Amino acid sequence: MAFIELTNIDAGYVKGHPVLKDFHLTVEKGELVSLLGPSGCGKTTTLRTIAGFIMAEQGKVLIGGKDNTPLPPNKRNIGLVFQNYALFPHLTVFDNIAYGLRRRKADKQVIPKKVTDVLKLVSLTGYEKRLPSQLSGGQRQRVALARSIVIEPDLLLLDEPLSNLDAKLRDEMRAELSRLQHQLGITMIYVTHDQIEALSLSSRIVVMNEGNIEQTGTPEDIYERPATPFVARFVGFDNHLSGKLAELQKGKTVMDINGSRFTSTRAVSESVKSSAAGEQVDVFFRPEDVILSREKTENCLEVEIDYINYQGNTSAYALLAGDTRIRAVIPGKPMETSGSMYLVIPPEKIIVEKG
Amino acid sequence: MNVFHSKRRLFFLLGPGTAFLLLFFLSPLAYVLVESFRADEGFITLARYQEVLVDQQFRKVFLRTLRMALIVTPLAVLLGYPSAYLMTKLPARKKSILTSLVILPLMTSPVARTYAWIVILGKYGIINETMVRLGFMQEPTRLLYTEGAIIVGLLQLFMPLMVLTLVSAMENSPEEVEEAALSLGSNRIGSFFRVVVPLSFEGLMMGVTLVFTGCFTAYVTPAILGGAKVLTLSTLMRQKALVLMNWEAATVIAVIMILTTLVLYNGVRMFRPRTLV
Amino acid sequence: MKRSKFLLFITIIMFIFLLGPFVVIIVSSFGSEAVMRFPPKGFSTQWYEKVLNIEMFRKTFWVSLKTGLLATFTALLLGVPAAYANVRWRYPGKNAMEIMFSSPAIVPGLVVGFALLRFFIYVTQVPVMVGLYLGHTAILFPYTVRVVSASLRNFDEGIEEAAVSLGSSPLHAFFAVVFPNIRSGIAAAFILAFITSFNNVPISLFLTGPGVATLPIQMLIYMEYYFDPTISALSSIIIVITVIIVQAAEKMLGISKYV
Repeated sequence: MAFIELTNIDAGYVKGHPVLKDFHLTVEKGELVSLLGPSGCGKTTTLRTIAGFIMAEQGKVLIGGKDNTPLPPNKRNIGLVFQNYALFPHLTVFDNIAYGLRRRKADKQVIPKKVTDVLKLVSLTGYEKRLPSQLSGGQRQRVALARSIVIEPDLLLLDEPLSNLDAKLRDEMRAELSRLQHQLGITMIYVTHDQIEALSLSSRIVVMNEGNIEQTGTPEDIYERPATPFVARFVGFDNHLSGKLAELQKGKTVMDINGSRFTSTRAVSESVKSSAAGEQVDVFFRPEDVILSREKTENCLEVEIDYINYQGNTSAYALLAGDTRIRAVIPGKPMETSGSMYLVIPPEKIIVEKG
Repeated sequence: MNVFHSKRRLFFLLGPGTAFLLLFFLSPLAYVLVESFRADEGFITLARYQEVLVDQQFRKVFLRTLRMALIVTPLAVLLGYPSAYLMTKLPARKKSILTSLVILPLMTSPVARTYAWIVILGKYGIINETMVRLGFMQEPTRLLYTEGAIIVGLLQLFMPLMVLTLVSAMENSPEEVEEAALSLGSNRIGSFFRVVVPLSFEGLMMGVTLVFTGCFTAYVTPAILGGAKVLTLSTLMRQKALVLMNWEAATVIAVIMILTTLVLYNGVRMFRPRTLV
Repeated sequence: MKRSKFLLFITIIMFIFLLGPFVVIIVSSFGSEAVMRFPPKGFSTQWYEKVLNIEMFRKTFWVSLKTGLLATFTALLLGVPAAYANVRWRYPGKNAMEIMFSSPAIVPGLVVGFALLRFFIYVTQVPVMVGLYLGHTAILFPYTVRVVSASLRNFDEGIEEAAVSLGSSPLHAFFAVVFPNIRSGIAAAFILAFITSFNNVPISLFLTGPGVATLPIQMLIYMEYYFDPTISALSSIIIVITVIIVQAAEKMLGISKYV
């Protein structure tokens, strides 16, 4: 039995209009699972249902084998870290961190030691007497982390904890979170819309869309082998072409796109496998995975260059293949734009889905 | 569903306030309303309304009250709108000083503020003294206990409401919009009427409603500056109730005052500002 | 340039019109004659002495103070939970609730006072003082709801939820976390409501009786009989106290954002 189990959950903000319908999720002890998806996909609803702020209209929430469904959030042993830190503005760093310990009637003698230890853990020793308003954004988020881990929760829930920080701090905090997770072995569920964050932190990623789970897998699974068009687009397979299935061989799919022949060597889904030649297929590929060439070769498409953005070590091309827009990101300076150009997509970089 | 938002909790939060208003605010009003239609014999009657509405004095007072509200409100806009506009353009510090100078009168007893006009407009007040001294007049004229005195008093009383409402409405329309209009070729006055006015239109309507209904129902100012000589609806109502002991008439006037206020508030709510031209 | 001069001119006129009367009243209170002359002749503080010696003023001041404090306190007690529910919760009929909560500020005060007089004092024989207290509480209620709502809206709901996730019950979270952070809003509501009550005439007009009057009502009664600068002196005292309270409240609580 998994450490956390959500079974048959119906939950939402307005009664009768659940955001999550018949939702299932399992998380193993010590895992860091990311819920990844665009806003409105139900990831925060899931988090709030686990925390107990949203009462599920149906289904069960089990934590450590214990049914938590009827428990209010203050009776669940769960730590929460918010996007806006949610520190108590009128309390010092010490009192913020001690809050949960005091609510749990911890021994008065142990509180200072526990607070000191956790402050050391998040490298904020010496900041006990400061008020939240006297801290930087990064420091605030460390206090918020310290406050939620000092109570030794069964589970730590993080709701876009890094999205209010600037890029540099975000990288730092990400490394810090990763370190804490390994050091403490705490089970974490991490909500984010940022694929890089999810990829770099998680042991497992759950990609969500409109209240449903699109795909669950390791970061590599998600990034390299997206299972649905939605996930493909979400992890950067921004380019989309339509074509017809020509031939299906072992480890090789041949298609007809705009009159050119394309081969993909990636594994395909069951639905593609069961398709017959001549049926509609969609192909997806990343802007970074393509090559621009002046000569016609295998797996290529004649394109026109609409415009080019110079981005320093790369150049971004807006291309037109007939009416279809294609983005390409190519290392180096922009190329000469005269003459015919061919877009080459390596066979191992093409995802084929049923149309 | 938020776990804590149970019906029971909602009942505890809203119950006390609701019960209080039902018992001590809405019931008395309903009682007065019902009483105004209650017939001595039979069920309902409009006789009391008829009695009041055909009364010449009531008609005169009603029209006077309306007239004064119709004079004070545009005057308040005329003085308040440019002032509010200027205030929003000032640097923060100056603006907050001026804002507190507007709030101060609002917080001060209307009795104290209105009494000042007795000193100014009185027989030996600054206006009469000056006029006599400069030889424009032989002797002091009566300025108090006139409609003019009440209008001046009401204007001063409700000016802050107009200015504050307009300032907060204009603050919400960002400076950049006006600058954008200028950069797109509107001239100053054009951008003022095409951008600033529409954006503050809702605030203007709110200010107009507040001032108009305020004038229509004000008591202190007409009581002090009009006395028994120049009655308005509210001073007439008091006279009917407490001096003449004619409660029926007072009740009817009360109902008319409520209806006028409600009609105005709902009328304004239906007014939606035009979007950017 | 031309335009801003015009604006400045109107603004100056507006401020003179708004604040001039205050200067007039304070200057006139120091006159030595028993007529209301302006500019006054001579200088004396006799009218201030007179104000302090008139027993009815002292008595009605206490009535106003007591009514104001009691009504404000009650309105806050009723208004804070109502504001909390309306800011934080979604529930059916919320719009109607909000309209009802603001209605005492829309219905003319004179009518409210009259209705309370007819309903309570004549029908149920409640003492006049109780009627006064109830009437004032009713009209202060919308103020407390509005001001407290504004400060609750500025307080991140996540902070409350953090407290709950750390083990507080919602009630405990309110007192331990929400209350300390909306204190200045509540204090602002208190001051605004108290001043509103203390200055009120229309409600009190019908809810006074033999031996029970508020200070503004007593001032109106006095004006009907006497025409000397006593009221100027009393008004000046009220103006100065108001200035001090409003300035202090602005410094400490930023009261202007709640008006």
